[in-house]
Amino acid sequence: MKTKKHIFVLLAFAAAFGLSCNNSNTSAADEKVTGEEIAELSYAPMVPKPITRNHPTHVIVNLNVVERVMKLADSTEYMFWTFGGAVPGQFIRVREGDEVEINLYNLPQNKLSHSIDLHAVSGPGGGAEASNVAPGHTSTFHFKALNPGLYVYHCATAPVPMHIANGMYGLIYVQPKEGLPKVDREYYLMQGEFYTKQGFGAKGLQEFDEQKGIDEQPTYVVFNGGVNANAGKNALPAKVGETVRLFVGNGGPNLVSSFHVIGEIFDKVYVEGGEMVNRNFGTTLIPSGGAAIVEMKIDIPGIYNIVDHSIFRTFNKGCLAQIKATGGRDTLIFRKN
Amino acid sequence: MKSIFAILFFISCLSCESQPKINIAAGKKMVKVNGGKFKTFYVSKTDKPLIVAPFLMDECAVTNAEFLEFVKANPAWSRSKVKRIFADSNYLKQWKSDFEIGESNKNIYNSPVVNVSWFAANAYCNWKNKRLPTLAEWEIAGNAPPENIPYTSVTDYIMKWYEKPSLPLLPNVKSTYCNTYGLYDMHGLIWEWTFDFNSFISTGDSRNTTNDNNNLFCAGASINVTNRDDYAAFLRYGFRGSLRGSYCISSLGFRCVKDLSSDKF
Repeated sequence: MKTKKHIFVLLAFAAAFGLSCNNSNTSAADEKVTGEEIAELSYAPMVPKPITRNHPTHVIVNLNVVERVMKLADSTEYMFWTFGGAVPGQFIRVREGDEVEINLYNLPQNKLSHSIDLHAVSGPGGGAEASNVAPGHTSTFHFKALNPGLYVYHCATAPVPMHIANGMYGLIYVQPKEGLPKVDREYYLMQGEFYTKQGFGAKGLQEFDEQKGIDEQPTYVVFNGGVNANAGKNALPAKVGETVRLFVGNGGPNLVSSFHVIGEIFDKVYVEGGEMVNRNFGTTLIPSGGAAIVEMKIDIPGIYNIVDHSIFRTFNKGCLAQIKATGGRDTLIFRKN
Repeated sequence: MKSIFAILFFISCLSCESQPKINIAAGKKMVKVNGGKFKTFYVSKTDKPLIVAPFLMDECAVTNAEFLEFVKANPAWSRSKVKRIFADSNYLKQWKSDFEIGESNKNIYNSPVVNVSWFAANAYCNWKNKRLPTLAEWEIAGNAPPENIPYTSVTDYIMKWYEKPSLPLLPNVKSTYCNTYGLYDMHGLIWEWTFDFNSFISTGDSRNTTNDNNNLFCAGASINVTNRDDYAAFLRYGFRGSLRGSYCISSLGFRCVKDLSSDKF
């Protein structure tokens, strides 16, 4: 009897273990795709809410291409080329295993053809070839989100560097099927450079400077499409004691970012937006066309400057965003004399 | 004498008033464009150039008023009659009806006709005993430098067009610059159809180094492009690559050409 019980326990244990092994080995391609939904897209600095579905579905992403003049700095305007009418483009959140349908509508009043290459796509060109679309028309293509992670998307119509330099980039997050640990706040930040004929801060509508682009000497380096887009009164709010998760992308087109939050330590970084997690460090490298997910618990109230620690870019070219934390102070962690 | 002048002036003004449809394109000339060797900017250095014979080209784009005459003479090309495979639903959408541009649209009589498909443009040219320019012909004509405006580079001039938002109303033909051939508005007003607009490209993505036409969509790898700094040309070819024959686009019109041999010049 005793031995029987032992065997039973052993078997149960083995079964449970085996089952869990099986679970984690189920590839995204094997899960049954059911239902259909239209993706809820968000504008920076907001992120669509986490996906709670426990199965993949058919997700429809409707993105508009908009060429429009917007502010690059206080008195500075620029003719941006955008996904969804903003820089960076709208944030797309899907689940691992989802079948994604991208509908790219190029507004009739636009002058140029555009396309989209999502780094989350497995297939030649990342969708660029399938999506090249003339003004007033829509292109459609499908892909299966096989690999979880945070990916850049961008326009890949000739000349690609100019399309990117004019603001045509954004992030798509393929949420792993098990999800991410819950945090208190999620935000969307994307770095990018602008190349204008006149210098930093010049007033009025600015012209694109191709030579500066070729020389990799930007006039502006900014987060979320403009100087102070998320600083000062537009700082990202948080409360002391909260954990903040930033989905950070770098649209480039040229510079690699030395991403750093002054006065905070990254508790956790999904390096390059992938599976590998690094902990307890201060500056993470984000390549052009790359991304990272960074998390930090805010312990002390105040302003936290988010910078590219290639620091001239912050000091002279506009690369600054801010977290404004409110709440009680823990004097054991930090105090002034 | 003076008073006669004044009266004449007055009358002419009156006629302006009552006739808003002054036809800028009336007496439209065709000008000679020297042919020559043509190499697209994206081909490899070993590609042989195309030999282009001299030809005649309309000095400006076809206007709404001109196109209306064509539609009246060829009702099959009116908005309600045209077959969808030859023109999409945006066809001539700036007009009031099948055979009317409309009084409220009187400011576009002399603007280039846009929202016309390749098939419609081709039919118009044939009706005029002309044809659409080949891509090589158009590019040779378009690359001639401006004659009547100060400029530093044609590329810069073109790029400025892309940086300005589209105007709510398309300006008249001959409202931009004239080039050394005597051709108006080759850049900076509209895009123009070419006969073989899609002959150069088979795929959309351009960052490959393979030997087909993929070079157009450069990113890092536009190895074979002879002039990879000519962003204006990249934009132009990229735009053509996104077209289909039935597409009607609010910034896309056309002008016609004619073989020189078919005409005494």
